[in-house]
Amino acid sequence: MGRLATFFRQRLPLDPARLRELTNEPVPHHLKHWWFCLGGTPAYLFVVMIVTGILLAFGYEATPTRAWESVRAITEQAAFGWFLRSLHRWAATLMVAAVVLHQMRVFFTGAYRRPRELNWLIGMGLLICTLMAGFTGYSLVYEQLSYWGATVAANLSDGIPWIGGLLRTFLLGGDGYNERTLSRFFVLHGAVLPVTMVALIALHVTLIRLHGIAEMRFRRDEGSAPRFFDFFPDHLLTELLIGLVLMIVLCVLASVFPVPMGPRADPLSTPEVIKPEWFFYVAFRWLKLWSERAALLSLGAIVALMAAWPFVDGWIRRRRPGSEASVFVGIVAVVAIVGLTVWEAVVAH
Amino acid sequence: MPPPRRSFLSRALALAMTASLVAGYGTFGWIAGRFLLPTRATRRGWLFVADVESFRPGTTLPFVAPTGERIVVARRDDGGFMALSSTCPHLGCQVTWQAAERRFFCPCHNGTFAPDGRATGGPPFEAGQSLPSYPLRVASGLLYIEVALAAAAGSA
Repeated sequence: MGRLATFFRQRLPLDPARLRELTNEPVPHHLKHWWFCLGGTPAYLFVVMIVTGILLAFGYEATPTRAWESVRAITEQAAFGWFLRSLHRWAATLMVAAVVLHQMRVFFTGAYRRPRELNWLIGMGLLICTLMAGFTGYSLVYEQLSYWGATVAANLSDGIPWIGGLLRTFLLGGDGYNERTLSRFFVLHGAVLPVTMVALIALHVTLIRLHGIAEMRFRRDEGSAPRFFDFFPDHLLTELLIGLVLMIVLCVLASVFPVPMGPRADPLSTPEVIKPEWFFYVAFRWLKLWSERAALLSLGAIVALMAAWPFVDGWIRRRRPGSEASVFVGIVAVVAIVGLTVWEAVVAH
Repeated sequence: MPPPRRSFLSRALALAMTASLVAGYGTFGWIAGRFLLPTRATRRGWLFVADVESFRPGTTLPFVAPTGERIVVARRDDGGFMALSSTCPHLGCQVTWQAAERRFFCPCHNGTFAPDGRATGGPPFEAGQSLPSYPLRVASGLLYIEVALAAAAGSA
Protein backbone atom coordinates (compact mmCIF):
# COMPACT_ATOMS: atom_id res chain seq x y z
CA MET A 1 0.00 0.00 0.00
CA GLY A 2 2.77 2.42 0.98
CA ARG A 3 4.79 1.59 -2.13
CA LEU A 4 1.74 2.01 -4.36
CA ALA A 5 1.03 5.44 -2.81
CA THR A 6 4.66 6.44 -3.35
CA PHE A 7 4.47 5.22 -6.97
CA PHE A 8 1.53 7.48 -7.72
CA ARG A 9 2.83 10.42 -5.69
CA GLN A 10 6.04 10.42 -7.72
CA ARG A 11 4.16 10.32 -11.02
CA LEU A 12 1.30 12.71 -10.19
CA PRO A 13 2.95 15.88 -8.95
CA LEU A 14 -0.02 17.01 -6.84
CA ASP A 15 0.32 18.73 -3.53
CA PRO A 16 -2.35 17.20 -1.23
CA ALA A 17 -2.76 20.48 0.66
CA ARG A 18 -3.37 22.46 -2.54
CA LEU A 19 -5.69 19.77 -3.89
CA ARG A 20 -7.70 19.98 -0.68
CA GLU A 21 -7.90 23.73 -0.99
CA LEU A 22 -9.07 23.47 -4.61
CA THR A 23 -11.76 20.90 -3.94
CA ASN A 24 -12.83 22.25 -0.59
CA GLU A 25 -14.53 25.53 -1.31
CA PRO A 26 -16.64 27.04 1.46
CA VAL A 27 -20.34 26.41 0.86
CA PRO A 28 -22.87 29.03 2.05
CA HIS A 29 -25.06 27.88 4.88
CA HIS A 30 -28.33 28.04 2.91
CA LEU A 31 -27.21 24.97 0.91
CA LYS A 32 -28.04 22.89 3.95
CA HIS A 33 -31.56 23.01 2.49
CA TRP A 34 -31.95 20.49 -0.30
CA TRP A 35 -34.09 22.75 -2.49
CA PHE A 36 -31.03 24.92 -3.05
CA CYS A 37 -29.19 21.85 -4.37
CA LEU A 38 -31.32 21.47 -7.50
CA GLY A 39 -28.26 22.19 -9.68
CA GLY A 40 -26.63 18.94 -8.60
CA THR A 41 -29.80 16.96 -9.39
CA PRO A 42 -29.68 17.32 -13.21
CA ALA A 43 -25.93 16.62 -13.05
CA TYR A 44 -26.62 13.37 -11.21
CA LEU A 45 -29.40 12.45 -13.63
CA PHE A 46 -27.07 13.27 -16.54
CA VAL A 47 -24.68 10.57 -15.29
CA VAL A 48 -27.63 8.13 -15.11
CA MET A 49 -28.55 9.08 -18.70
CA ILE A 50 -24.98 8.47 -19.91
CA VAL A 51 -24.69 5.05 -18.22
CA THR A 52 -28.12 3.74 -19.27
CA GLY A 53 -27.78 5.38 -22.69
CA ILE A 54 -24.50 3.60 -23.44
CA LEU A 55 -26.08 0.30 -22.42
CA LEU A 56 -29.16 0.88 -24.60
CA ALA A 57 -26.95 1.84 -27.56
CA PHE A 58 -25.60 -1.74 -27.54
CA GLY A 59 -29.03 -3.00 -28.61
CA TYR A 60 -30.25 -0.13 -30.78
CA GLU A 61 -30.22 -0.05 -34.60
CA ALA A 62 -30.72 3.37 -36.21
CA THR A 63 -32.50 2.44 -39.43
CA PRO A 64 -36.21 2.88 -40.19
CA THR A 65 -36.64 -0.84 -40.85
CA ARG A 66 -34.95 -1.98 -37.63
CA ALA A 67 -35.30 0.89 -35.11
CA TRP A 68 -38.72 0.10 -33.66
CA GLU A 69 -38.01 -3.63 -33.75
CA SER A 70 -34.69 -3.18 -31.91
CA VAL A 71 -36.32 -1.02 -29.20
CA ARG A 72 -39.02 -3.68 -28.87
CA ALA A 73 -36.36 -6.36 -28.54
CA ILE A 74 -34.59 -4.28 -25.86
CA THR A 75 -37.88 -3.80 -24.03
CA GLU A 76 -39.32 -7.29 -24.32
CA GLN A 77 -36.48 -9.74 -24.90
CA ALA A 78 -33.14 -8.46 -23.62
CA ALA A 79 -32.38 -9.20 -19.97
CA PHE A 80 -33.41 -6.17 -17.89
CA GLY A 81 -33.84 -4.17 -21.10
CA TRP A 82 -37.25 -2.87 -19.97
CA PHE A 83 -35.69 -1.67 -16.72
CA LEU A 84 -32.77 0.15 -18.36
CA ARG A 85 -35.04 1.77 -20.95
CA SER A 86 -37.51 2.85 -18.26
CA LEU A 87 -34.66 4.25 -16.14
CA HIS A 88 -33.43 6.20 -19.17
CA ARG A 89 -36.87 7.63 -19.95
CA TRP A 90 -37.75 8.49 -16.34
CA ALA A 91 -34.34 10.06 -15.72
CA ALA A 92 -34.93 12.22 -18.82
CA THR A 93 -38.31 13.33 -17.50
CA LEU A 94 -36.90 14.15 -14.06
CA MET A 95 -33.89 15.86 -15.64
CA VAL A 96 -36.02 18.28 -17.66
CA ALA A 97 -38.08 19.01 -14.54
CA ALA A 98 -34.97 19.52 -12.39
CA VAL A 99 -33.32 21.79 -14.98
CA VAL A 100 -36.44 23.97 -15.15
CA LEU A 101 -36.75 24.11 -11.32
CA HIS A 102 -33.03 24.92 -11.02
CA GLN A 103 -33.40 27.75 -13.51
CA MET A 104 -36.44 29.12 -11.65
CA ARG A 105 -34.53 29.00 -8.37
CA VAL A 106 -31.56 30.86 -9.91
CA PHE A 107 -33.95 33.38 -11.43
CA PHE A 108 -35.96 34.16 -8.31
CA THR A 109 -32.92 34.37 -6.04
CA GLY A 110 -31.20 36.71 -8.51
CA ALA A 111 -28.17 34.41 -8.61
CA TYR A 112 -27.66 35.25 -12.30
CA ARG A 113 -26.73 38.87 -11.53
CA ARG A 114 -23.34 40.45 -12.10
CA PRO A 115 -20.73 38.95 -12.14
CA ARG A 116 -22.52 35.66 -12.96
CA GLU A 117 -24.20 36.60 -16.26
CA LEU A 118 -21.98 34.29 -18.32
CA ASN A 119 -22.90 31.28 -16.22
CA TRP A 120 -26.60 32.03 -16.89
CA LEU A 121 -25.80 31.95 -20.61
CA ILE A 122 -24.05 28.59 -20.25
CA GLY A 123 -27.09 27.39 -18.31
CA MET A 124 -29.32 28.47 -21.19
CA GLY A 125 -27.10 26.44 -23.51
CA LEU A 126 -27.55 23.43 -21.23
CA LEU A 127 -31.33 23.93 -21.18
CA ILE A 128 -31.46 23.98 -24.99
CA CYS A 129 -29.18 20.91 -25.20
CA THR A 130 -31.37 19.06 -22.68
CA LEU A 131 -34.55 19.79 -24.64
CA MET A 132 -32.87 18.82 -27.94
CA ALA A 133 -31.63 15.60 -26.36
CA GLY A 134 -35.20 14.90 -25.24
CA PHE A 135 -36.54 15.52 -28.72
CA THR A 136 -33.91 13.46 -30.57
CA GLY A 137 -34.27 10.74 -27.92
CA TYR A 138 -37.94 10.10 -28.43
CA SER A 139 -37.45 10.34 -32.18
CA LEU A 140 -35.17 7.30 -32.02
CA VAL A 141 -37.89 4.92 -30.78
CA TYR A 142 -39.60 5.24 -34.20
CA GLU A 143 -43.09 5.22 -32.76
CA GLN A 144 -45.86 7.19 -34.39
CA LEU A 145 -45.02 10.13 -32.11
CA SER A 146 -41.33 9.89 -33.05
CA TYR A 147 -42.01 10.01 -36.76
CA TRP A 148 -44.67 12.70 -36.81
CA GLY A 149 -42.95 14.78 -34.12
CA ALA A 150 -39.75 14.84 -36.15
CA THR A 151 -41.66 15.61 -39.35
CA VAL A 152 -43.58 18.49 -37.74
CA ALA A 153 -40.46 19.90 -36.04
CA ALA A 154 -38.45 19.77 -39.26
CA ASN A 155 -41.20 21.45 -41.26
CA LEU A 156 -41.53 24.07 -38.53
CA SER A 157 -37.83 24.90 -38.66
CA ASP A 158 -38.38 25.44 -42.38
CA GLY A 159 -40.40 28.51 -41.37
CA ILE A 160 -37.42 30.20 -39.70
CA PRO A 161 -36.29 33.10 -41.91
CA TRP A 162 -33.10 32.67 -43.97
CA ILE A 163 -31.64 29.52 -42.37
CA GLY A 164 -34.85 27.47 -42.01
CA GLY A 165 -34.54 25.45 -45.20
CA LEU A 166 -30.90 24.67 -44.52
CA LEU A 167 -31.73 23.66 -40.93
CA ARG A 168 -34.42 21.27 -42.09
CA THR A 169 -32.17 19.67 -44.70
CA PHE A 170 -29.42 19.32 -42.11
CA LEU A 171 -31.73 17.83 -39.47
CA LEU A 172 -33.42 15.29 -41.75
CA GLY A 173 -30.46 14.60 -44.03
CA GLY A 174 -32.71 15.37 -47.03
CA ASP A 175 -35.86 17.22 -47.95
CA GLY A 176 -38.14 14.84 -46.08
CA TYR A 177 -37.94 12.03 -43.55
CA ASN A 178 -35.75 9.38 -45.22
CA GLU A 179 -33.63 6.35 -44.37
CA ARG A 180 -30.69 8.53 -43.28
CA THR A 181 -32.74 10.65 -40.86
CA LEU A 182 -32.61 8.25 -37.92
CA SER A 183 -28.82 7.92 -37.98
CA ARG A 184 -28.63 11.73 -37.88
CA PHE A 185 -30.80 11.79 -34.77
CA PHE A 186 -28.75 8.95 -33.28
CA VAL A 187 -25.45 10.79 -33.76
CA LEU A 188 -26.94 14.00 -32.37
CA HIS A 189 -28.50 12.19 -29.41
CA GLY A 190 -25.64 9.83 -28.62
CA ALA A 191 -22.56 11.88 -29.48
CA VAL A 192 -22.93 15.56 -30.37
CA LEU A 193 -25.32 16.62 -27.60
CA PRO A 194 -23.76 14.62 -24.72
CA VAL A 195 -20.23 15.78 -25.58
CA THR A 196 -21.44 19.39 -25.83
CA MET A 197 -23.21 19.01 -22.50
CA VAL A 198 -20.15 17.54 -20.77
CA ALA A 199 -18.14 20.56 -21.96
CA LEU A 200 -20.84 23.04 -20.89
CA ILE A 201 -21.28 21.35 -17.47
CA ALA A 202 -17.50 21.54 -16.93
CA LEU A 203 -17.60 25.27 -17.77
CA HIS A 204 -20.69 25.75 -15.59
CA VAL A 205 -19.03 24.15 -12.56
CA THR A 206 -15.70 25.91 -13.18
CA LEU A 207 -17.42 29.28 -13.19
CA ILE A 208 -19.31 28.40 -9.98
CA ARG A 209 -15.94 27.56 -8.41
CA LEU A 210 -14.35 30.78 -9.65
CA HIS A 211 -17.21 32.97 -8.41
CA GLY A 212 -18.06 30.98 -5.32
CA ILE A 213 -21.69 30.06 -4.72
CA ALA A 214 -23.90 33.16 -4.48
CA GLU A 215 -24.69 33.57 -0.79
CA MET A 216 -28.32 33.93 0.15
CA ARG A 217 -29.08 36.30 2.99
CA PHE A 218 -32.45 35.98 4.65
CA ARG A 219 -34.06 38.63 6.80
CA ARG A 220 -33.36 36.62 9.95
CA ASP A 221 -29.64 36.47 9.05
CA GLU A 222 -29.23 40.26 9.05
CA GLY A 223 -26.41 41.46 11.23
CA SER A 224 -24.90 38.01 11.70
CA ALA A 225 -21.64 36.99 10.10
CA PRO A 226 -21.90 34.91 6.90
CA ARG A 227 -21.90 31.23 7.73
CA PHE A 228 -20.17 28.62 5.62
CA PHE A 229 -19.51 24.90 5.84
CA ASP A 230 -17.02 22.62 4.11
CA PHE A 231 -17.67 21.20 0.65
CA PHE A 232 -15.83 18.06 1.62
CA PRO A 233 -17.21 16.00 3.22
CA ASP A 234 -20.34 17.88 4.40
CA HIS A 235 -21.77 19.08 1.11
CA LEU A 236 -20.60 16.01 -0.78
CA LEU A 237 -22.57 13.88 1.67
CA THR A 238 -25.67 16.02 1.08
CA GLU A 239 -25.26 15.52 -2.68
CA LEU A 240 -24.72 11.76 -2.24
CA LEU A 241 -27.87 11.58 -0.15
CA ILE A 242 -29.83 13.41 -2.85
CA GLY A 243 -28.32 11.01 -5.39
CA LEU A 244 -29.43 8.04 -3.33
CA VAL A 245 -32.99 9.37 -3.02
CA LEU A 246 -33.01 10.00 -6.79
CA MET A 247 -31.88 6.45 -7.53
CA ILE A 248 -34.64 5.05 -5.29
CA VAL A 249 -37.26 7.31 -6.92
CA LEU A 250 -36.01 6.30 -10.39
CA CYS A 251 -36.06 2.58 -9.59
CA VAL A 252 -39.58 2.81 -8.18
CA LEU A 253 -40.84 4.81 -11.18
CA ALA A 254 -39.16 2.45 -13.66
CA SER A 255 -40.55 -0.64 -11.92
CA VAL A 256 -44.09 0.61 -11.26
CA PHE A 257 -44.51 2.56 -14.51
CA PRO A 258 -42.27 0.83 -17.08
CA VAL A 259 -42.14 2.57 -20.45
CA PRO A 260 -44.41 0.79 -22.97
CA MET A 261 -43.98 0.41 -26.73
CA GLY A 262 -46.10 2.79 -28.79
CA PRO A 263 -47.41 1.81 -32.22
CA ARG A 264 -44.72 1.57 -34.92
CA ALA A 265 -44.27 4.69 -37.05
CA ASP A 266 -46.51 4.69 -40.11
CA PRO A 267 -45.50 7.30 -42.69
CA LEU A 268 -48.90 6.85 -44.35
CA SER A 269 -51.19 7.82 -41.48
CA THR A 270 -50.95 10.52 -38.84
CA PRO A 271 -52.69 9.52 -35.59
CA GLU A 272 -55.89 11.29 -34.58
CA VAL A 273 -54.37 12.81 -31.44
CA ILE A 274 -50.69 13.70 -31.73
CA LYS A 275 -48.77 15.49 -29.00
CA PRO A 276 -45.10 15.93 -28.25
CA GLU A 277 -43.51 14.99 -24.93
CA TRP A 278 -44.88 17.05 -22.02
CA PHE A 279 -41.88 19.41 -21.88
CA PHE A 280 -42.77 20.72 -25.34
CA TYR A 281 -46.43 21.33 -24.48
CA VAL A 282 -45.67 25.04 -23.86
CA ALA A 283 -44.16 25.57 -27.30
CA PHE A 284 -46.78 23.32 -28.94
CA ARG A 285 -49.71 25.31 -27.49
CA TRP A 286 -47.96 28.60 -28.28
CA LEU A 287 -47.58 27.54 -31.91
CA LYS A 288 -51.30 26.79 -32.14
CA LEU A 289 -52.22 30.23 -30.77
CA TRP A 290 -50.64 32.34 -33.50
CA SER A 291 -49.87 32.13 -37.17
CA GLU A 292 -46.84 29.94 -37.82
CA ARG A 293 -44.42 32.74 -38.61
CA ALA A 294 -45.55 34.97 -35.72
CA ALA A 295 -45.36 32.07 -33.26
CA LEU A 296 -41.86 31.06 -34.42
CA LEU A 297 -40.47 34.59 -34.31
CA SER A 298 -42.02 35.31 -30.89
CA LEU A 299 -40.69 31.99 -29.56
CA GLY A 300 -37.22 32.94 -30.78
CA ALA A 301 -37.57 36.40 -29.22
CA ILE A 302 -38.64 34.89 -25.86
CA VAL A 303 -35.65 32.52 -25.80
CA ALA A 304 -33.34 35.42 -26.73
CA LEU A 305 -34.83 37.55 -23.95
CA MET A 306 -34.34 34.69 -21.48
CA ALA A 307 -30.69 34.43 -22.48
CA ALA A 308 -30.15 38.20 -22.30
CA TRP A 309 -32.12 38.67 -19.07
CA PRO A 310 -29.12 39.18 -16.72
CA PHE A 311 -28.04 42.12 -18.88
CA VAL A 312 -31.59 43.51 -19.25
CA ASP A 313 -32.07 43.17 -15.49
CA GLY A 314 -28.75 44.91 -14.85
CA TRP A 315 -29.81 47.79 -17.10
CA ILE A 316 -33.15 48.13 -15.26
CA ARG A 317 -31.49 48.04 -11.85
CA ARG A 318 -28.97 50.68 -12.84
CA ARG A 319 -31.76 53.05 -13.76
CA ARG A 320 -34.04 52.13 -10.86
CA PRO A 321 -31.93 50.69 -8.01
CA GLY A 322 -33.74 48.14 -5.88
CA SER A 323 -36.25 47.40 -8.64
CA GLU A 324 -37.99 44.05 -8.26
CA ALA A 325 -39.08 43.96 -11.92
CA SER A 326 -37.43 40.56 -12.39
CA VAL A 327 -39.67 38.99 -9.74
CA PHE A 328 -42.82 40.12 -11.60
CA VAL A 329 -41.42 39.04 -14.96
CA GLY A 330 -40.58 35.69 -13.38
CA ILE A 331 -44.06 35.23 -11.93
CA VAL A 332 -45.67 36.06 -15.29
CA ALA A 333 -43.33 33.61 -17.05
CA VAL A 334 -44.03 30.77 -14.58
CA VAL A 335 -47.80 31.35 -14.77
CA ALA A 336 -47.62 31.38 -18.59
CA ILE A 337 -45.50 28.21 -18.74
CA VAL A 338 -47.63 26.29 -16.27
CA GLY A 339 -50.86 27.63 -17.82
CA LEU A 340 -49.95 26.69 -21.40
CA THR A 341 -48.66 23.26 -20.30
CA VAL A 342 -51.85 22.46 -18.40
CA TRP A 343 -53.99 23.79 -21.25
CA GLU A 344 -52.23 21.53 -23.76
CA ALA A 345 -52.44 18.60 -21.36
CA VAL A 346 -56.22 18.73 -20.85
CA VAL A 347 -57.46 19.29 -24.43
CA ALA A 348 -57.24 16.83 -27.31
CA HIS A 349 -56.46 19.33 -30.05
CA MET B 1 -14.80 12.93 22.25
CA PRO B 2 -18.41 11.85 21.64
CA PRO B 3 -20.03 9.39 24.03
CA PRO B 4 -19.20 5.81 23.00
CA ARG B 5 -22.79 4.85 22.24
CA ARG B 6 -23.21 7.71 19.77
CA SER B 7 -19.89 6.92 18.16
CA PHE B 8 -20.94 3.29 17.78
CA LEU B 9 -24.30 4.28 16.28
CA SER B 10 -22.80 6.68 13.76
CA ARG B 11 -20.21 4.10 12.80
CA ALA B 12 -22.87 1.42 12.33
CA LEU B 13 -24.93 3.87 10.29
CA ALA B 14 -21.98 4.79 8.08
CA LEU B 15 -21.24 1.11 7.56
CA ALA B 16 -24.87 0.38 6.68
CA MET B 17 -24.93 3.32 4.25
CA THR B 18 -21.72 2.20 2.54
CA ALA B 19 -22.92 -1.39 2.36
CA SER B 20 -26.25 -0.29 0.85
CA LEU B 21 -24.48 1.89 -1.72
CA VAL B 22 -22.15 -0.95 -2.70
CA ALA B 23 -25.08 -3.37 -2.86
CA GLY B 24 -27.20 -0.95 -4.89
CA TYR B 25 -24.58 -0.07 -7.47
CA GLY B 26 -23.40 -3.67 -7.47
CA THR B 27 -26.90 -4.79 -8.39
CA PHE B 28 -26.96 -2.25 -11.18
CA GLY B 29 -23.59 -3.53 -12.40
CA TRP B 30 -25.00 -7.06 -12.48
CA ILE B 31 -28.09 -5.81 -14.38
CA ALA B 32 -25.83 -4.06 -16.91
CA GLY B 33 -23.79 -7.24 -17.31
CA ARG B 34 -26.87 -9.39 -17.87
CA PHE B 35 -28.17 -6.87 -20.44
CA LEU B 36 -24.89 -6.93 -22.37
CA LEU B 37 -24.35 -10.70 -22.15
CA PRO B 38 -25.75 -12.26 -25.33
CA THR B 39 -28.58 -14.70 -24.72
CA ARG B 40 -27.65 -18.17 -25.93
CA ALA B 41 -29.82 -19.73 -28.58
CA THR B 42 -31.48 -22.43 -26.52
CA ARG B 43 -34.35 -23.17 -28.86
CA ARG B 44 -33.70 -25.88 -31.46
CA GLY B 45 -35.87 -26.72 -34.41
CA TRP B 46 -36.12 -28.75 -37.61
CA LEU B 47 -35.37 -26.84 -40.82
CA PHE B 48 -35.85 -27.95 -44.42
CA VAL B 49 -32.65 -28.80 -46.35
CA ALA B 50 -33.53 -30.38 -49.69
CA ASP B 51 -35.83 -32.96 -51.26
CA VAL B 52 -34.39 -36.46 -51.19
CA GLU B 53 -35.17 -37.17 -54.83
CA SER B 54 -32.84 -34.50 -56.28
CA PHE B 55 -30.06 -35.09 -53.71
CA ARG B 56 -27.83 -37.54 -55.57
CA PRO B 57 -25.47 -39.90 -53.62
CA GLY B 58 -21.85 -38.70 -53.45
CA THR B 59 -22.74 -35.00 -53.53
CA THR B 60 -22.71 -32.35 -50.78
CA LEU B 61 -24.85 -29.32 -50.01
CA PRO B 62 -23.74 -26.28 -48.01
CA PHE B 63 -26.21 -25.18 -45.35
CA VAL B 64 -26.14 -22.05 -43.17
CA ALA B 65 -28.06 -22.28 -39.89
CA PRO B 66 -29.95 -19.21 -38.54
CA THR B 67 -27.17 -18.68 -35.99
CA GLY B 68 -24.64 -18.36 -38.85
CA GLU B 69 -23.20 -21.83 -38.28
CA ARG B 70 -21.92 -23.35 -41.55
CA ILE B 71 -22.85 -26.96 -42.12
CA VAL B 72 -22.07 -29.42 -44.92
CA VAL B 73 -24.86 -31.88 -45.66
CA ALA B 74 -23.66 -34.92 -47.63
CA ARG B 75 -25.36 -37.96 -49.17
CA ARG B 76 -23.15 -40.99 -48.84
CA ASP B 77 -22.73 -43.48 -51.66
CA ASP B 78 -24.87 -45.96 -49.69
CA GLY B 79 -27.74 -43.47 -49.84
CA GLY B 80 -27.59 -42.36 -46.16
CA PHE B 81 -27.28 -38.73 -45.11
CA MET B 82 -24.90 -36.93 -42.77
CA ALA B 83 -24.47 -33.35 -41.67
CA LEU B 84 -21.19 -32.02 -40.27
CA SER B 85 -20.26 -28.59 -39.07
CA SER B 86 -17.56 -27.15 -41.30
CA THR B 87 -16.18 -25.11 -38.43
CA CYS B 88 -12.93 -26.56 -37.07
CA PRO B 89 -13.38 -27.25 -33.32
CA HIS B 90 -9.80 -26.09 -32.69
CA LEU B 91 -9.96 -22.34 -33.36
CA GLY B 92 -13.01 -21.85 -35.54
CA CYS B 93 -11.61 -21.79 -39.09
CA GLN B 94 -13.60 -23.27 -41.98
CA VAL B 95 -12.53 -26.74 -43.12
CA THR B 96 -12.55 -27.79 -46.80
CA TRP B 97 -13.14 -31.22 -48.37
CA GLN B 98 -10.06 -32.63 -50.10
CA ALA B 99 -11.40 -35.26 -52.48
CA ALA B 100 -7.97 -36.75 -53.37
CA GLU B 101 -7.08 -37.47 -49.72
CA ARG B 102 -10.72 -38.17 -48.77
CA ARG B 103 -10.49 -35.89 -45.75
CA PHE B 104 -11.55 -32.53 -44.35
CA PHE B 105 -8.63 -30.16 -44.01
CA CYS B 106 -8.29 -27.08 -41.80
CA PRO B 107 -5.86 -24.58 -43.35
CA CYS B 108 -5.16 -22.76 -40.08
CA HIS B 109 -3.18 -25.44 -38.21
CA ASN B 110 -3.30 -28.42 -40.56
CA GLY B 111 -6.02 -30.25 -38.69
CA THR B 112 -7.47 -33.22 -40.63
CA PHE B 113 -10.75 -35.11 -40.24
CA ALA B 114 -12.06 -38.38 -41.63
CA PRO B 115 -15.19 -38.29 -43.86
CA ASP B 116 -17.33 -39.06 -40.81
CA GLY B 117 -15.91 -36.05 -38.92
CA ARG B 118 -13.47 -37.92 -36.66
CA ALA B 119 -10.20 -35.99 -36.10
CA THR B 120 -7.25 -37.78 -37.69
CA GLY B 121 -4.38 -35.30 -37.39
CA GLY B 122 -3.19 -31.95 -36.14
CA PRO B 123 -4.32 -30.08 -33.03
CA PRO B 124 -7.93 -31.36 -33.16
CA PHE B 125 -6.69 -34.95 -33.14
CA GLU B 126 -4.40 -34.28 -30.17
CA ALA B 127 -7.28 -32.65 -28.29
CA GLY B 128 -9.75 -35.34 -29.37
CA GLN B 129 -12.11 -32.79 -30.98
CA SER B 130 -14.19 -34.02 -33.91
CA LEU B 131 -16.39 -32.03 -36.26
CA PRO B 132 -19.84 -31.70 -34.62
CA SER B 133 -22.60 -33.53 -36.46
CA TYR B 134 -26.30 -32.67 -36.67
CA PRO B 135 -29.38 -34.90 -36.56
CA LEU B 136 -31.14 -35.36 -39.92
CA ARG B 137 -34.63 -36.67 -40.64
CA VAL B 138 -36.49 -37.64 -43.79
CA ALA B 139 -40.22 -37.01 -43.86
CA SER B 140 -42.49 -37.40 -46.95
CA GLY B 141 -39.46 -37.33 -49.24
CA LEU B 142 -38.00 -34.15 -47.73
CA LEU B 143 -34.77 -33.86 -45.74
CA TYR B 144 -34.75 -31.87 -42.48
CA ILE B 145 -31.92 -30.84 -40.13
CA GLU B 146 -32.13 -30.01 -36.43
CA VAL B 147 -30.18 -26.85 -35.56
CA ALA B 148 -30.21 -24.01 -33.00
CA LEU B 149 -32.63 -21.31 -34.06
CA ALA B 150 -31.64 -17.63 -34.08
CA ALA B 151 -30.85 -16.07 -30.71
CA ALA B 152 -33.22 -13.42 -29.38
CA ALA B 153 -32.93 -10.23 -31.42
CA GLY B 154 -31.53 -7.18 -29.67
CA SER B 155 -29.29 -9.10 -27.36
CA ALA B 156 -28.17 -11.59 -29.98
